[in-house]
Amino acid sequence: MAVQPKKTGYIVLGLAALLVLALCLCGCTQAPASAEKTPTPAAAGGIQSLSVTGSTTVLPIAQSAAEDYMDAHSNVDIKVSGGGSGVGVQAIGEGTTDIGMSSRELTTEETTKYPNLVVTTVAGDGIAVIVNPANTVNSLTLDQIKAIYQANITNWKEVGGPDETIVLIGRDSASGTRSFFTEMVLKKENAAPTMLEQNSNGGVLLSVGQTPGAIGYISIGYLTDSVKALDLDANGNKIEPTVANVKSGQYPISRPLLMITQGAPQGLAKDYLDYIQSPEGQAIVAEEGYVSLT
Amino acid sequence: MSVTGAPSPAKWNGMHIKESILKSIWFFCAIFAVIVIFFIFVFLFWDAYPIFLQVGFWDFITGMSWNPTGNPPMYGIFPLIVDTLLVTIGAMAISIPLGIGSAIYISELAPARVKAVVKPAIELLAGIPSVVFGFFGLVVLTDWIRVTFDVPTGQTWLAGSLLLGIMALPTIISVSEDAIACVPREYKEGSLAVGANHWQTISRVIVPGALSGITAAIILGMGRALGETMAVLMVTGNAAIIPSPLWNMLSPIRTLTGTLGIEMGEVAIGSMHFHALFGVAVVLLMITLGVNLIARGILGRIREKQMPSGKKRNKNALSCAMDRSGWLGGVRNVTPWIGAALLTGLMFLFSRAGAAMLTVGVVGGIATSRKRLSSRLVQKIAFALIALSIIIVLVVLGIILWDIISKGIVNLTWDFLTQSPRDLGRAGGIFPAIVGTLYLVLGAIAISLPLGVGAAVYLTEYTREGTITRIIRTGADLLNGTPSIVFGLFGFAFLVLYLNFGVSLIAGQITLALMVLPTIIRTTEEALKGVPHAIREGSLALGATKWQTIRRVVIPPAMPGIITGAILSIGRAAGETAPILFTAVVFSQRFLPTSLFEPVMALPYHLYILATNVPNAQANQYTTALVLLMLVIAIYSVAIVIRHHYQKTLRW
Repeated sequence: MAVQPKKTGYIVLGLAALLVLALCLCGCTQAPASAEKTPTPAAAGGIQSLSVTGSTTVLPIAQSAAEDYMDAHSNVDIKVSGGGSGVGVQAIGEGTTDIGMSSRELTTEETTKYPNLVVTTVAGDGIAVIVNPANTVNSLTLDQIKAIYQANITNWKEVGGPDETIVLIGRDSASGTRSFFTEMVLKKENAAPTMLEQNSNGGVLLSVGQTPGAIGYISIGYLTDSVKALDLDANGNKIEPTVANVKSGQYPISRPLLMITQGAPQGLAKDYLDYIQSPEGQAIVAEEGYVSLT
Repeated sequence: MSVTGAPSPAKWNGMHIKESILKSIWFFCAIFAVIVIFFIFVFLFWDAYPIFLQVGFWDFITGMSWNPTGNPPMYGIFPLIVDTLLVTIGAMAISIPLGIGSAIYISELAPARVKAVVKPAIELLAGIPSVVFGFFGLVVLTDWIRVTFDVPTGQTWLAGSLLLGIMALPTIISVSEDAIACVPREYKEGSLAVGANHWQTISRVIVPGALSGITAAIILGMGRALGETMAVLMVTGNAAIIPSPLWNMLSPIRTLTGTLGIEMGEVAIGSMHFHALFGVAVVLLMITLGVNLIARGILGRIREKQMPSGKKRNKNALSCAMDRSGWLGGVRNVTPWIGAALLTGLMFLFSRAGAAMLTVGVVGGIATSRKRLSSRLVQKIAFALIALSIIIVLVVLGIILWDIISKGIVNLTWDFLTQSPRDLGRAGGIFPAIVGTLYLVLGAIAISLPLGVGAAVYLTEYTREGTITRIIRTGADLLNGTPSIVFGLFGFAFLVLYLNFGVSLIAGQITLALMVLPTIIRTTEEALKGVPHAIREGSLALGATKWQTIRRVVIPPAMPGIITGAILSIGRAAGETAPILFTAVVFSQRFLPTSLFEPVMALPYHLYILATNVPNAQANQYTTALVLLMLVIAIYSVAIVIRHHYQKTLRW
């Protein structure tokens, strides 16, 4: 057998890895002090970075605004990730991100655990009830939607549609959109356990678009031609889930979308939030299909 | 260091110290797996404890309703446990007959040239990442089920079982094939010599002889199916109900792993719901560990009865086994039943009503006609079924690959590979995701390779079989059977929250490293065991120290085996989504990460988000899937080629 002197590399590697591990295991205290992370221009050759994490409903706004902001400021890197409202609140509370996103108000548990969180409203949002485009039903009352989601109505023909079994599609139980829908439409009662659960707006959209008998609910920012948004029937008035109707307060199922910081926003985070609240930023909000603040 | 003839006493002392230091380092590496599994348990229990305290463990696992944000919140996971078991049983019903049929075909019937193609093809099937299966299931399979069976939605138990069945196939086929190939030739020759035909030999001598290995293969495949997350959560609909009636495969279901996958991301940290999810993880871990311990028990029994076999194969721990205790006598004619099950499954796919009648017919027919049919006809029928099973496997593989390649290739441009994503990944490229995946994988290997090789060196070179090695091996096996989502949860609880790393590259690397560690330990051990004892003794006799012997004599010839193990681990780590879901990834970034404490993009996660979160991203979904598939398959191909070459050329 030929002997290759290369093999010493293994020992070095092994020792190095052990060292790293040992450091990781004992060096809990040396973890990055992230609570007061302010982007330093010195880091990464002058590139300032900002991380934004949380709700999938707010994500399109954050992402588009970040892309435009980065086009204007070439030395800035904004990382946007989903995960959900709970992750957003937790990440900002623990200081592992610079800005958290949430599509629901903070829970009392969260505010007691992280007392110094500051909430900035960046947009408004309506929740549209959607069906497959093949469905002939165009409008439902809030009571009908509630009955459908509690499986008291199980066939579309009971509400004037085709003879087709209703497939309930909703969000996972940790979702901000779901807790809001439960509060507003189901009056805090439980949905039927037969509801299929998707863990994002896009997932609900995809399933409803694929399934002829489906009903679902998503943020109006996600509406596309692949589904049909139902009008809300309030005493014979048919109210479309449009941005204008949400703004005027006619469409009732609406909520604010939030970005959260530790204390008042500062530095790059403040600049970015200001940008979203500026006319250009609000134009992006409108473009993504959400309700602008102004 | 050079090997000198007669070292001076002082040098002896120095050497002695060095040897002991090295030995303790290797021992630490070996015991590391045990420490990790212990840590995982402690952390999951720690975070699950409040829910057990509030709800009570018994009520938690027997409660009929899972609605953590309901009014009042309900934390009952009985439906989740039942659904997890159902989807696994369904998967096994699909993969056992197909898997064993294919294994028999490959080892007994395939012409050499066909075998050379089919075997690597099936190994490649093992390389397809879970999230790619899930994506295919979501986009193609669920729609097909909805239309074919005329049900309201295709997101069903059946969809989950079909995917999991396909995913468990490679494990079942390759392990069974090893077991069958290891039945001593003399048995086969003896059987043929006394006038049995080929089929009688296969069904009454070879398969029963390999049955314990096949059993182990089935249990390993089952473990894989139980712990699978991404594919299942994308296609089963995630409704927490028990199908009614219980055998209604067209009902939506929700598994334990799926629950963790969809809810962990949005849950408020520290809430009761959060603790309940850790409770789910604890139950999942218990189930998988139970399955693994049973598998270990069976394999242990086999090892005790192990006989030296005619064939030396340098492949895996389930080496050639013979069980002659006779407890399998009753299932001597097991294969026709497998054929029947296969046929039933097929019929079920075409018409449900006819399936039951057909089952009775076929089973009854086989049971009675065995006595009357000529053995030649039986052999013909059996071989046709076996050929059919391998054809089905290859066709399924072909369909999945064709779908992804044909739709993905359209958008595959140089720009797509070298640009950052834009517009939520609907436009632009995936360059940061490719780089992020590479970073994650390389970091994981840099951590796990030294540890794994060290552990294997300790186990094979420094100790005799005893209590300590048993504990270490059990630890490694348990780690091997831990579902990837549990690693993800542990990484989240321990690295991200407790050590306060945040969602970062390093957290993902460590989590992935822990996940692939058992694979590296096992493959390295096999490689080291393949080195004959005589050359170790020769080296020691010439005055080399233990460490010199290991470094210069034992490790070099074992290198190809070690490298193969490392490459397979790289492939697995590159395709995994669940472990990095909560520990390392972000959806998009324009620049590459500059430190270990920054999050990264990764291909599997990018595909998952594009498929489930971003509307109108079909084109880029398919192309991302294609890039991920090509990356992982390229990695696996290298491993297969190396191993193949090495099996051919190594002669002692």
